Amino acid sequence: MEAIGNAGSAIGILAKDGVVLVGEKKVTSKLLQTSTSTEKMYKIDDHVACAVAGIMSDANILINTARVQAQRYTFAYQEPMPVEQLVQSLCDTKQGYTQFGGLRPFGVSFLFAGWDKNYRFQLYMSDPSGNYGGWKAAAIGANNQAAQSMLKQDYKDDITREEAVKLVLKVLSKTMDSTSLTSEKLELAEVFLLPSGKVKYQICSPESLSKLLVKVGVTQPATETA
Amino acid sequence: MKLDLSGLESTVPHFGTSDGLSHGFPTAPSFDLPITGDFDGFQKEAIQMVKPAKGTTTLAFIFKEGVMVAADSRASMGGYISSQSVKKIIEINPHMLGTMAGGAADCQFWHRNLGIKCRLHELANKRRISVTGASKLLANILYSYRGMGLSVGTMIAGWDETGPGLYYVDSEGGRLKGTRFSVGSGSPYAYGVLDSGYRFDMSVEEAAELARRAIYHATFRDGASGGVASVYHVGPTGWTKMSGDDVGELHYKYYPVTPSTVEQEMGEVSGA
Amino acid sequence: MECVFGLVGNGFSILVADTSAVHSILVHKSNEDKIMVLDSHKLIAASGESGDRVQFTEFIQKNVSLYQFRNGIPLTTAAAANFTRGELATALRKSPYMVNILMAGFDKETGPSLYYLDYIATLHKVDKAAFGLVVAPPNFVIKIVDKDGAREHAWRETVKHETTAPPSA
Repeated sequence: MEAIGNAGSAIGILAKDGVVLVGEKKVTSKLLQTSTSTEKMYKIDDHVACAVAGIMSDANILINTARVQAQRYTFAYQEPMPVEQLVQSLCDTKQGYTQFGGLRPFGVSFLFAGWDKNYRFQLYMSDPSGNYGGWKAAAIGANNQAAQSMLKQDYKDDITREEAVKLVLKVLSKTMDSTSLTSEKLELAEVFLLPSGKVKYQICSPESLSKLLVKVGVTQPATETA
Repeated sequence: MKLDLSGLESTVPHFGTSDGLSHGFPTAPSFDLPITGDFDGFQKEAIQMVKPAKGTTTLAFIFKEGVMVAADSRASMGGYISSQSVKKIIEINPHMLGTMAGGAADCQFWHRNLGIKCRLHELANKRRISVTGASKLLANILYSYRGMGLSVGTMIAGWDETGPGLYYVDSEGGRLKGTRFSVGSGSPYAYGVLDSGYRFDMSVEEAAELARRAIYHATFRDGASGGVASVYHVGPTGWTKMSGDDVGELHYKYYPVTPSTVEQEMGEVSGA
Repeated sequence: MECVFGLVGNGFSILVADTSAVHSILVHKSNEDKIMVLDSHKLIAASGESGDRVQFTEFIQKNVSLYQFRNGIPLTTAAAANFTRGELATALRKSPYMVNILMAGFDKETGPSLYYLDYIATLHKVDKAAFGLVVAPPNFVIKIVDKDGAREHAWRETVKHETTAPPSA
């Protein structure tokens, strides 16, 4: 729990035409090479993605099991796994580690964003104990309570994906410890439907993220900060 | 005083030579193995030869007053008739009967096993097990042993909270609910009589007579069936044994020997 | 010989099965229901050894309702058929079930559907299918069910071709 409180936060918002996830990357040192383009967002299957807060080594194990579960389901039924079932199966694993002696629980919280044919777009939040729930907007990691209360204030039903992106960036900019919000410190991912009806998981590139930040007005144009 | 220690002496004969060397180390008792290249095949064949109750006629049917169950009593091992007095109707509990066709040991064992399970069900649930439940219990056991050589063809007949019940269960895992069944080598003959004489609104006496007659006719045409035709009736208060008649005597009942008129008496040849 | 068949029509699918329980030459029963209800919009019909048939279809039925109970949502017919295929295929190399299955269902999104699954776990989505003597040499049902008379038609076409070909050659 402690680890999650200090970890880079992540916020998710459920919009009527998609789900938005945003995560704060903690850049601990300037020397650290950011090898992967994402370190907080993970695609689990074509239709589900998640954001992580907590111990990354634990998270990697869980993400792997989630991916395996999703594939197993597809193998058995030849169709994508319903999002809630995926979340539930992962939380069952988490719960197991709280129950049996000698094992340390996974120090990870997740935000899951996904789409399935039964319940359309969904957002779930899970904690290390294995509790999970469906949310319209949720925050995990550092300052999640502050973020949560801001979301509660500003969230409105029938929010569009575009508005959700704005809101999520606004909330993050205010709850983050660091003063300025830059694209290096952020990750933004969206799950939405293509006109063809296919589910699309899209990660915002740093360039477009910079533009977006300026547009939303939470940071100065890149030229000035440089 | 002299103690009698004869009881402590071994009655097992000593095997092997009783020379000084092997004294105290009797060789283990053994018997000759059959002279055959294919021991497994021999064993299978041998089992088949001594498997009793193969040729059988059993039947059961539901009618107005309950269930009628009947069977012959012959046990054969191949061509040899090993017994003429086998109880092929097994009393599982006061309200339920099972019939026996196929391997006698398999049938007997699993019916007793079923009896235990039924009693345990009764104790746990404070009510008698339904015929449906009991037959499913047996079918599931037999199904789990499928392909392992069990040979059981049985009917579970009884009276439960829903009234009379009748199921056919076999060692291939089959389980059929029905109102009229016959199992065994004599069943085609029994079916013939049963199907032609069956009516739902028979009286107990009529039903018992039909069952008896069906068994008799089956034993008449089927060499592997014979002995005694026993008839049981299961009603709301449980089963009762209606009759057990020697089929030989039944034959004379159904086809009485009428003294034929002798055309010419043999007389003394006079004057020889 | 057992006879099980089914077809998909406009907005519906149906299953048909005979009701005889036969052991070699003996007809044990003539009112055996070989079609089982999986849920409100799914049916499964099976032919094959009676023990395997009942045991396997009940197993599938129980698993389908367990899924619905656990997850609060029903399986689609496609998912149920693929699940059944998977179970049959895993059993195939251990203790095979001698059952041939037809599964009919109706889903909100995809409408009526029919799945063909034989005892060696071949799964096909079809709009008409049959098991038993109806398929083997006489093709009784195939002939009746083929509503456009495809087979008959093809055969006649061949004959016509044969008779007309020589003059032109």
